[in-house]
Amino acid sequence: MGGAEALEAEIKRLIVEALALEDVNPQEIETDAALFVEGLGLDSIDALELAMVLEERYGVTIEDDPEGNARIFASVRSLADFVRSQGGEARGT
Amino acid sequence: MTPLSRLFAAAGGARVVAFGREGERTADELRSDVAALAAHLAPLAGGRVALHCHDAYAFAVGLFALAQVRSVAVLAPSRQPGALLRLAGDVLGFLIDGADAPREIEGRPCGSPLAAPRASFPLAALDREAAWAELFTSGTTGDEKPILKSVRHLEDEVDVLEARFGAALGAGTRVLATASPQHLYGLLFRVLWPLAAGRPFLRTPLLHPEELAPSLDEGPFALASTPVALRRLAERTELASRAAHCRAVFSSGGPLEAEVAQRVAEALGAPPFEVYGSTETGGVAVRQQRSGDEPWQPLPRVEAAVDPEDGRLVVTSPFVSGGERVDAACTRLATGDRAEPAPGGGFRLRGRADRVVKIAEKRLSLPDMESRLRAHPSVAEAALVLAPGAGEPRVGAVLVLTPAGRERHADGGRRALGRELAEHLAADFDRVLLPRVWRVVEALPRDAQGKTSVRALSALVSEAATRPELVSFERRPGGAVVEWRIPRELAHLEGHFPGHPLVAGVVQLHFVMGALAELTDAQPRLASLEALKFHELLGPGAHVRLHLETNAAPEGAQFRFRLVDAAAPGRIFSSGRGRLAP
Repeated sequence: MGGAEALEAEIKRLIVEALALEDVNPQEIETDAALFVEGLGLDSIDALELAMVLEERYGVTIEDDPEGNARIFASVRSLADFVRSQGGEARGT
Repeated sequence: MTPLSRLFAAAGGARVVAFGREGERTADELRSDVAALAAHLAPLAGGRVALHCHDAYAFAVGLFALAQVRSVAVLAPSRQPGALLRLAGDVLGFLIDGADAPREIEGRPCGSPLAAPRASFPLAALDREAAWAELFTSGTTGDEKPILKSVRHLEDEVDVLEARFGAALGAGTRVLATASPQHLYGLLFRVLWPLAAGRPFLRTPLLHPEELAPSLDEGPFALASTPVALRRLAERTELASRAAHCRAVFSSGGPLEAEVAQRVAEALGAPPFEVYGSTETGGVAVRQQRSGDEPWQPLPRVEAAVDPEDGRLVVTSPFVSGGERVDAACTRLATGDRAEPAPGGGFRLRGRADRVVKIAEKRLSLPDMESRLRAHPSVAEAALVLAPGAGEPRVGAVLVLTPAGRERHADGGRRALGRELAEHLAADFDRVLLPRVWRVVEALPRDAQGKTSVRALSALVSEAATRPELVSFERRPGGAVVEWRIPRELAHLEGHFPGHPLVAGVVQLHFVMGALAELTDAQPRLASLEALKFHELLGPGAHVRLHLETNAAPEGAQFRFRLVDAAAPGRIFSSGRGRLAP
């Protein structure tokens, strides 16, 4: 598994674990599918929680910018791209 | 009307205070029974003594004798061995009537209030400020909480009852009550109020309320009952012919169905007086249902206001225990019930306050969401509870499915069902309020009173996925057929073989034992196991069927099981037989 895919896989696992999603297998989350509402069904509380976990794990800073955040949190891919743009990388378990 | 505290300060007389199949007792007899018991209890003076009686006369003797020696009567909520055992460490002894009373409990003496040898004791007026009775609440949260009542609380409440209803009852009217004196409603309506007002009371509750019928023919009566007993009475008893004797009917202890209120009204000329209150607040308000949604009117000396902040009913009266002191006479307490002021005065109740929750600053009425869920064709029953979430608490849903819902669940699993129901709710509720945890059960957990407790629901939603998801449980003669879906998040899947999640054999056995527990309604212990075979590997996502046969034998039930693929019953995961410890 390459480095890029490893980060995506790790974020999927983080989403399931941090948000205590029941009946969701990390591998089932599609990298490009919408995370919020129509996709995985996440909501604003999840976004806050997820932001905290990402900041903690990858040392990134997520600003209080609704429009920018809507882009960052659109999908697993956009989250991974954001983490990489801030110098973050997969940390393994 | 004699104030309760002065009931034994003056001579008794030959008037009947109690009647029933154990015989009549007069005021003089009550005095000498109280004196005999008080003399007997003198060594325990000032201590706490538990009291539990079937016979309201024996109860009255115990309660007043304890007051005479300045002891607190701890009113045991039941006489189940466990309930009495819990009190043993906290009391000096037990007063329990009847043939089924134990001799001693954990070394504490136990005797009937009517068994004390004749003795004299200087009966005196009671100190109004003295602590007298400790009662236990039976809340929907399942926790029994002790509530202490002083002489003053009970005396003032009895005065208010007489002021409000005395004229309707009239002098000397016999009081027939089905409510237990161990709880506040029965304590007041069945024992203390009749004694203070000089009305004879029925000694022993009848097992079936309809057995009251003969007593209804003996002359003027008042009936103090509960919604459940009133329903039975209205269904099975010819009430109309007794209308001329009936002075008043009271109902308390739960909501009275409009239909029962109407039946009683048709038969007896007036609907029951429904009394609203709690152990903490004492009586709060009264209403008579005619159209069904009459507002509650506060009792005399009671002020009932609605807190504009959270909508809770706040009660101020002389008989509120605990709470905040308002003046020399009254204390104020916020109840757990929501209410709305009624336009013409009084208030209407709007459900339990703890059923309105806040998630991320958004208010949610759990009953509203439950009724929206029930409107979905897959859902037969729904109960919601707040569950701890990652950051904020989240809603957890416990569901009983309709046949259509079972099919949906069997096809798509819990996730698909949950998503579909969440989308159904999203039309009316903010997304952060949507249930996050879904549990499918065969029946909602209910306690002995038929209430679904928050505690039982919380246990269901907070248990990690350590168990397979139940699809169906079908009892058959000599066993059961159970279908499960193995959740992908099953806790047991972790750690065995990385990358290849499997349900280990010991975990499959655990499922079998769980099914045996459900079938036998007990916690089975395995004595031996034979012919155990694991044929095919079982992984997550599988839909499995368990065939379980069992027979009861004196040396312990034997069982035989086969766990197969529900889609391909020829594919066997495991099989074996065993014996349970007796």
